[in-house]
Amino acid sequence: MTSITSISVISKLIATPAADVSQVAQLPGMHWASFIMWMPLISLALCGICSAFKVKTKAPAIITIICLATSFILTLLLWQGYQDPEIIHVFDWLKIDWEDGSFIANFAFYVDSLTLLWMLFVTGLGTLIAVYASEYMEHDVGKGYTRFFAGVSVFLFAMTCLVMGDNLLMLYLGWEGVGFASYWLIGYFYQRPSAVAAAKKAFIVNRIGDVGLALAIYLIWSTFGTVQYDEITSALGSGYKPTFDGWTVQAIPYLLMLAAFGKSAQLPLYVWLPDAMEGPTPVSALIHAATMVTAGVYLIIRTYPLFMLEGSHALEVVAWVGGLTAFFAATMAMAQYDIKRIMAYSTVSQLGYMFLGLGVITSYGAAYHVFTHAFFKAVLFLTCGAIMHGFAGQLDLRKLSGLRKMKGWKIVSYTMLIGCLCLAGFPFTSGYFSKDVILAEAFVTHGTGFVFLGWLAIFTAGLTAYYTFRVWFRVCAGPVHFEPGDELHGKEPANFHPHAPRIAINFVLVAIALGALLAALPYFIPNETEGIQGGWVAEMIDDSPAKKGVPGVDLDSSHGDILGMDPHKAMYYISAIVGFVGIGIAFFIHLLSRSTADKLRCKLLSNRTTRWLPTAMENKWYVDEIYIALIRSPLWILGKIFSLFDRYFIDGALVNGIAFIPSLVARWFSPLYNGAVQSYAISMIGGAILIALLMLFMPEIVEFLQTLSPPIGSDQSIAVVGGAQ
Amino acid sequence: MTDRLWFLIPEFILLAGAVVCAIGGLSNLAAIRRKVGFVACAFLAASCIAVPFVYDPTRVAESPALLPHVGGYVKFFAALTGILLVMTSGGLMDRKYEHAIASGKDTFDTLRSSAGEYHALLLLSITGVMLICEASDLIWLFLALELVSLPTYVMVAMSRWSKVGQEAAMKYFFLGAISAALMLYGFALLYGATGTFNLNEMAVVFAKQRFDGGIVMFGQIGLILALVGLCYKIAAAPMHLYAPDVYQGAASAVTAFLAFVPKTAGMLAIIILLSLVGWEGGLPKSIEMMLWVVAVLTMLLGNIGALLQTSTKRMLGYSSIAHSGYMLIGIIAGPPLGLIAVMVYLVIYGATNTAAFSTLASLSRDGKPVDSLQDISGLVKSSPAAATSFALSCGSLLGIPPLFGFWGKLMLFAVGVSAGQLPLVLIAAVSSAISAWYYLRLIGLALLSPLTPRSETVRVTLRWPMIAAILGAIIAIGGPIVLESLITDAKTAFVEPE
Repeated sequence: MTSITSISVISKLIATPAADVSQVAQLPGMHWASFIMWMPLISLALCGICSAFKVKTKAPAIITIICLATSFILTLLLWQGYQDPEIIHVFDWLKIDWEDGSFIANFAFYVDSLTLLWMLFVTGLGTLIAVYASEYMEHDVGKGYTRFFAGVSVFLFAMTCLVMGDNLLMLYLGWEGVGFASYWLIGYFYQRPSAVAAAKKAFIVNRIGDVGLALAIYLIWSTFGTVQYDEITSALGSGYKPTFDGWTVQAIPYLLMLAAFGKSAQLPLYVWLPDAMEGPTPVSALIHAATMVTAGVYLIIRTYPLFMLEGSHALEVVAWVGGLTAFFAATMAMAQYDIKRIMAYSTVSQLGYMFLGLGVITSYGAAYHVFTHAFFKAVLFLTCGAIMHGFAGQLDLRKLSGLRKMKGWKIVSYTMLIGCLCLAGFPFTSGYFSKDVILAEAFVTHGTGFVFLGWLAIFTAGLTAYYTFRVWFRVCAGPVHFEPGDELHGKEPANFHPHAPRIAINFVLVAIALGALLAALPYFIPNETEGIQGGWVAEMIDDSPAKKGVPGVDLDSSHGDILGMDPHKAMYYISAIVGFVGIGIAFFIHLLSRSTADKLRCKLLSNRTTRWLPTAMENKWYVDEIYIALIRSPLWILGKIFSLFDRYFIDGALVNGIAFIPSLVARWFSPLYNGAVQSYAISMIGGAILIALLMLFMPEIVEFLQTLSPPIGSDQSIAVVGGAQ
Repeated sequence: MTDRLWFLIPEFILLAGAVVCAIGGLSNLAAIRRKVGFVACAFLAASCIAVPFVYDPTRVAESPALLPHVGGYVKFFAALTGILLVMTSGGLMDRKYEHAIASGKDTFDTLRSSAGEYHALLLLSITGVMLICEASDLIWLFLALELVSLPTYVMVAMSRWSKVGQEAAMKYFFLGAISAALMLYGFALLYGATGTFNLNEMAVVFAKQRFDGGIVMFGQIGLILALVGLCYKIAAAPMHLYAPDVYQGAASAVTAFLAFVPKTAGMLAIIILLSLVGWEGGLPKSIEMMLWVVAVLTMLLGNIGALLQTSTKRMLGYSSIAHSGYMLIGIIAGPPLGLIAVMVYLVIYGATNTAAFSTLASLSRDGKPVDSLQDISGLVKSSPAAATSFALSCGSLLGIPPLFGFWGKLMLFAVGVSAGQLPLVLIAAVSSAISAWYYLRLIGLALLSPLTPRSETVRVTLRWPMIAAILGAIIAIGGPIVLESLITDAKTAFVEPE
């Protein structure tokens, strides 16, 4: 076990560097690929300059779009030239050596196919959403506009750092960075108390997960002696010394899981995500739907080997948490009226699917679902944003109807339809394929209750189809009818005219909707790599830890079945049927006879035995209230006690007391500093004589001290004074 | 002998610079008189450039000095910091007088002009620091130390034409004389104990005495008295009492000079004296205990004393006392790491402390120098650049993590711990925590406090000190980038090149 006896900055000059380059190819320092990361930073700097010069134009948006687009093009180039996993070394960041160990975290990028997959949609969607936001945020041109794009730049920088870093420390840096950017952007409307509260909630809930990540990194380093991905993998392969009877190694996946659940809004830490919708909609689309919230999935895929250790139940826990989150979030989404909140709960639910996929060992399925979900959820959020933008903040689905028949809202309606189809898992859309991989694998893999989870997930898929089309049928179909929201800026509600989105928003909607449709193609594009099925995506992630669960790779394991059929094939039919049922119910009660839904609700409410169901669902199963009662209130009381303790004991008695002592001492000495040369001279000479006498009679003094306290030996009393020997 | 002279080339350059400055300052042409500062900078730069050529490894091996390698590092950075100090003094001397001459109200009189002398004295004092590096016997060492000190007495006196300045100069001179006497008495005893003035021979004699069972009593008392005398140069207890008064009394630019140049000289001399007995097998118990007591007293008295001050310069004066205490940790820890840490710390401290005083030097309140804490309250409103550089240099002196000062302190504390001086480092950490109180107060005053009636009229009036302050602040931020090469340089001063 490495122990830090003395961390000396200088000692690194004497110790030899312990960097052991493994088989992964290392690329030289100033590689052009590092500009994928620097471009958002440059954009941030330029936005800062814009802010300093109080720019009142759309310049920050243009700067950000250009920088992010450059990032995206560079990512494309990197992907085009990609052969094998490689490490791009940018610069030495942290390197501490001592006798029997080292801590090395270079500023380097680990580029494998998983990184590229993530980077492609992060930078690509980032660019498109920046274009969207350039129109969406235009009411705030001036200071707020710059602040917004600066925040987006920070986010993209942190996200690239998180995804591209070659070690856990860089991931941690990015992890905290995206958390900060998320806080920054949720609290964008900082004059609104609810936005500030939501920003704080997101940040604080994420802290809980971050503690897990910090502990996990520490345990990984203390167990394997490194935080670099490739070295961890090779250490796992070549054997390592289990510490503390091996429980630390077993604890690592649970801690990583905690971090992932916090960032990706899973039970029990999901509560921040619905509130995070207080931020501007492009932020919800980019950060809280497409990219940042998938960081948890990325983290687990990256560290997948640690979850697959002998005798570990970590993946089963992931599966259960994911499956239950998917289900509960879907039920909550069913009973909401705010369409943006519905999308938020649907995001939580879909993230639950991804974790279910990870848990049932199809990281391929999870990665593919992340990929497709990024597109269709982005388009859904962006259409919600366009509606909110056009109807003065109106998001209540009861107060909007028949959008597709209104002039200028066709693109919004039909892109939203595409998004809804994908989310509902309509056959041959991207969501259909990616979800099926996960659902089928739940029946293939053996684990505690996986079959139950599989059925639960299928049922949830039906719920998903229902609540998704509840939104679409209510808002976009039916007779034309609308009420404006409360952001009228002084206009009379009677004179209100919705303003339809213009070119930038429409262009982005169409582009991302096309992306959502085309995301189904990679499933079919034949690949050149031998031995794997599953198309482009499978090939894409072939050399990364996300390879697990690619159809055709792990076929040697005994295969489960579903109703006597091969799960992969059966799932095509089952999920299509479930999807149709869900859409059909939504069609019936939200389009054909809209009063049915209300009648059903009234009936359920009037019946004593079923009253709890709609109430609980509408109140989000009272989870927020439970958290307040169980966690927030006790903490608040504790905090109050601490605050009083701090004020009266720490500040009052300790701090002021301690500060009082030195000043008392200083006052005591101050007569010495009376400014007279003579007294200074006497003090100096007196001091010199005292020191000389002290030194001369030191043996006697030591002897005297020994007689005072016999137990303390002479060695010790000298050692206290000068321990150099 | 020619070899001896070869190593003195940087000193000769500065000496020539001193002569040129002294003569140029008396020129009838105002244009030449005004260029004196640039001339001083040019000679310092030339000396700086000369150092790497002079300290050619093959030649250094033949040097008769006790610590032949140390000069390459010290001379370079002394000259470099010297440039910063000359910039800090920009506009200090003769400004009103030159204005009067330029506007025709007054005529030029060589007796009343002092800019040339000032710069000459400044260069001579730095020459003294450089000469200490080449010390090969006690006489040389003593003369070099006096060459450092004597010009500073005059500089304090001429920097402010007020009673405060004169009083400070007188105190500084008399108390300095006492300390020099103590030191000289110590040197005499050292001669008595070893029978030689030559440092190399003396080291051999001491080694023999230690082998035979201990350094003779004469030698120990001599060493202790010499070290106590040198404590005056580094403003360490019990010889620190002059520091607050003199630092407050002198003009800020001279205070910056006093806080760096004599301190460097004193640290070097202490290292040379301790090298006589050597750290191998530990310093002699009495010496080590003495240094220990001095370090603890210096840190605590410096930091506690600063708490009560209402004068910014006095506060920084006390803080510079405390910094000597931190550096003594490195001295006790010994070579090579401890001394490397001290050398690096000297450079860091020199740059950031100079920056702090430069800010004060650049400011004035209705033509009067800035001193009280109230004067810098709300500085950020009248001059953001001055406030920021002041805050950064104070932050670096306190040791706020990313700044340069933090790394210096970390190194000192780390070598202290690895040398087994944990109690000392703990005391240093506690006193460093105490220092946070007044440093943060300075930072808070400059950046967060509102303007007070006194500080409303405070303005940046001098350009060059402001530039020096900004440079110092840039060093405080950007320094960590070059930290590693700085350490490597300092390493060459004490570790024989392979």
